[in-house]
Amino acid sequence: MIQYIVRRTLWMIALLFLVSAITFGIFYALPSADPAGLRAGRSPNPELVEQIRHQLGLDRPLYAQYFDYMKNLVTEGDFGYSYQNNISVRTQIFQRLPATISLAIGAAILWLTIGITVGIISAVRPHTLVDRVAMGAALVAISAPVYWLALVALYLFADDIGRFPLFPGAGSYVPFSEDPSKWFTSLIMPWCVLAAAFAAFYARLLRSTMIDTMHEDYIRTARAKGLGERRVILRHGLRSAITPIVTAAGLDIGILLGGAILTETVFNIPGVGRLAYDSIINSDLPMIQGTVLLGAFFIVTANLVVDVAYAFVDPRVRY
Amino acid sequence: MTHKHGPGRERPDANERMRMRKLLASLTTALVLGVVVTACGGDGDEGNGNGNAGTPATGESGKKGGSLTVLSAADVDGLDPGYWYYQYDYMALAHPTQRGLYGWEPEKTEPSPDLAEDLPEVADGGKTLTIKIKPGIKYSPPLQDRTVTSKDVKYAIERAFLPQVANGYVNLYYAEIDGVKEFVDGKADEIAGIQTPDDQTLVLKLDKPQGVVATGVALALPATIPVPKDYAQKYDKGKQSRYGEYQVFTGPYMIPNDSSGKLTGYTAGKEIQLVRNPSWDPETDYRPAYLDKITFSGGNDLTVASRKILTGQGLMSGDFAAPPTAILKSALSSRKDQLLIEPSQGIRFVALNTKVKPFDDINVRKAVSAVVNKNDLRVTRGGPTLGPIATHFIPPEMPGFEEAGGEAGPEGLDFNANPDGDLNLAMEYMKKAGYSSGKYTGPPVLMVGDNQPPASKTGEALQSQLEQLGFKLNYRQVEHSTMLSKFCTVPKADVAICPNLGWGKDFFDSESMINPLFNGKNIVPANNANYPQLDDPELNAKMDKAATLTDPAERATAWAEIDKEVTAGAYMIPWLWDNQINFASENVNGVRNKFNSSWDIAYTSLK
Repeated sequence: MIQYIVRRTLWMIALLFLVSAITFGIFYALPSADPAGLRAGRSPNPELVEQIRHQLGLDRPLYAQYFDYMKNLVTEGDFGYSYQNNISVRTQIFQRLPATISLAIGAAILWLTIGITVGIISAVRPHTLVDRVAMGAALVAISAPVYWLALVALYLFADDIGRFPLFPGAGSYVPFSEDPSKWFTSLIMPWCVLAAAFAAFYARLLRSTMIDTMHEDYIRTARAKGLGERRVILRHGLRSAITPIVTAAGLDIGILLGGAILTETVFNIPGVGRLAYDSIINSDLPMIQGTVLLGAFFIVTANLVVDVAYAFVDPRVRY
Repeated sequence: MTHKHGPGRERPDANERMRMRKLLASLTTALVLGVVVTACGGDGDEGNGNGNAGTPATGESGKKGGSLTVLSAADVDGLDPGYWYYQYDYMALAHPTQRGLYGWEPEKTEPSPDLAEDLPEVADGGKTLTIKIKPGIKYSPPLQDRTVTSKDVKYAIERAFLPQVANGYVNLYYAEIDGVKEFVDGKADEIAGIQTPDDQTLVLKLDKPQGVVATGVALALPATIPVPKDYAQKYDKGKQSRYGEYQVFTGPYMIPNDSSGKLTGYTAGKEIQLVRNPSWDPETDYRPAYLDKITFSGGNDLTVASRKILTGQGLMSGDFAAPPTAILKSALSSRKDQLLIEPSQGIRFVALNTKVKPFDDINVRKAVSAVVNKNDLRVTRGGPTLGPIATHFIPPEMPGFEEAGGEAGPEGLDFNANPDGDLNLAMEYMKKAGYSSGKYTGPPVLMVGDNQPPASKTGEALQSQLEQLGFKLNYRQVEHSTMLSKFCTVPKADVAICPNLGWGKDFFDSESMINPLFNGKNIVPANNANYPQLDDPELNAKMDKAATLTDPAERATAWAEIDKEVTAGAYMIPWLWDNQINFASENVNGVRNKFNSSWDIAYTSLK
């Protein structure tokens, strides 16, 4: 197992280098806008634009720019400075990371709890009223765009503009360290909105795999041996059926840790997703590079965690 | 793992099927009702979208104290005073926290002395300007024991020429100061033409007269906000200046900082906190500064924020141009006093590239101008509330507006006369251009516009109007920043038509509206604002001469004449003089600053 983890970690580092090179190539070789031009404001003279280009090192060969960037990143953890506001990219990313982590992890706990519970109930009571209602609701939740759902939630339940003021509205997020209870209440609606589609998907996925599993011979054997139904479902049925859930959860959490752009935007949560979106709009290349690398890091790490978790969930898996 | 499909499914009994149908029906109804209720969500009856709203407050009196929150979509462009150039930078930072040589009182269109004691003393035919600086104006902590000197203003202007500050206008307005070229080329450590004979005297020596500098309007820009050299220079080294994060303040408010000067009240993209500047002396300032604390909150969704502002307390709009159309209509009828709709001195136009056929032909340009239905274009942005139809390039309230023809526009320009468009007239001009059918028969022309509404809607409306005249358009919609930096401001891109362009004043002087857009000397390979690429030596000479005039009335007349000429040339089609729609909660006494067309925090108070 240790060897496996070490091997995967080395692959992870190689993959991050590759992602950084591709991102660098896309945004520096094929930029959607000229960062020196954007920085120079309107009607600058050409000399100013060239001075800025030189100042930012954008007139150097691509490989030299990439080498400098990676050298600073690896040796000093320096992601550079935003072309937009001159503030350190690392500072801004790490300032916003706690908000994204709060949003992603909280939503993940919620969707896993709901999705697994509903999936189990639907699987053991297929085609009943409960099952049909649950799967119908799941279909609606999957179909509803997150952005729309978030706005509906605000218009219904936000304490400033909602019809039924229950929860803090957009822009109310505060860091946990500042006020834990306000942090919690400000994230209730974003958690619910973000978790809705995922919970629905997971419920349907688990229902499907558990229905198949519950018809396996060993389940019949377990019942025949006199094991309680709860034990049969949870200990034997769920354990076999949960593997795709583990894979999906790992990937989804990894992706969300790179930023849930739509949810962060509507609820005005100052997370990495919103930062990434703003940096794309502003062609802020150092910030784009930083947020992409962060997203890639979380995804490959999540993949590694998922693969290791398999070994615990499924005893047949050995590395 | 292998999966086996089990035996057949159980069918629910009849009672259960009936319950399921009823439940489904109830759930569907509830969902639809919820959507309808939410979608309707308005604050009152629908208004007709016309007309002005609240009466502007002047800020002459107000209740002291209280906190205000300003909601915006984006953040300021940067913290460095040398970089500030846009409306929101002025609103959030320049006006409330800093003082330059001159500033703008809310209702005035002439600059008011701020750090300066008076307007510049002009000598030597306009080539020598002397400005006296008020003594005793202190900096905020950690430099609270220091006062502003002429050397600080000198350094502020010099550093604005540095690439690590990347100021966007000093090359336009301060380039005639003697010694700028040597400084920019690295051949001098300072700009020789900025002289400081004593701590309270600043002398500017110009190579030739500059009206915008002599009248003080260009000296009201943030580049004259003082920066102590010994404190700031260490932050100005490196690829990008870090001074903004450590700046010291001279205005009534400041961003909180620590003992080293590092700002603690700023979270990029999220929040700017302003608190009272303990060093500020109201006796030396025209700003009343009623509020105790202001928070600028960024990253807000326009629709959500508009509702919050209009229905909440202690909130006002920041960088929003207008609330969404549905909310605006509702607010115009039920919350009129919370809206302020005033001219912004901005203009929107369609640019025709005179270097790309067939727009090198004036008759084709006149034909296009004639066929454009400006009223329809305005509808795409929300209708008459968004501003009057533009008929030339100097907007309302700018010097020279009336002289150039006022709202009706210059006389005798039939292609410019009908805001609903005139296809027959357009076809007549096309025939004069050699298209005997009256319609364009050439190859498709490239048009590049913004891909976001409402700009995308404007482009689409224009496309259908031009198609009436036979134009086939290769119409590309791209991201706004891409539209500008890769297409419409890049002459080499050879874009024939750019439909989503606009311009705003730098100050209340029409040189800033006309010169950048039409002077051939301003054609540059990138970030070009002379969109039609007009380079008429006669017109250039007239503009150069007008730029040297130092009398405001003469300047207004001269630039108005040039405005008439460029309108007659149909190089661009003006279609809207933008209104700015500012809005606030009902307990806020918002005061608008005419210069910036947005709320003036230093004059705003709570009721």
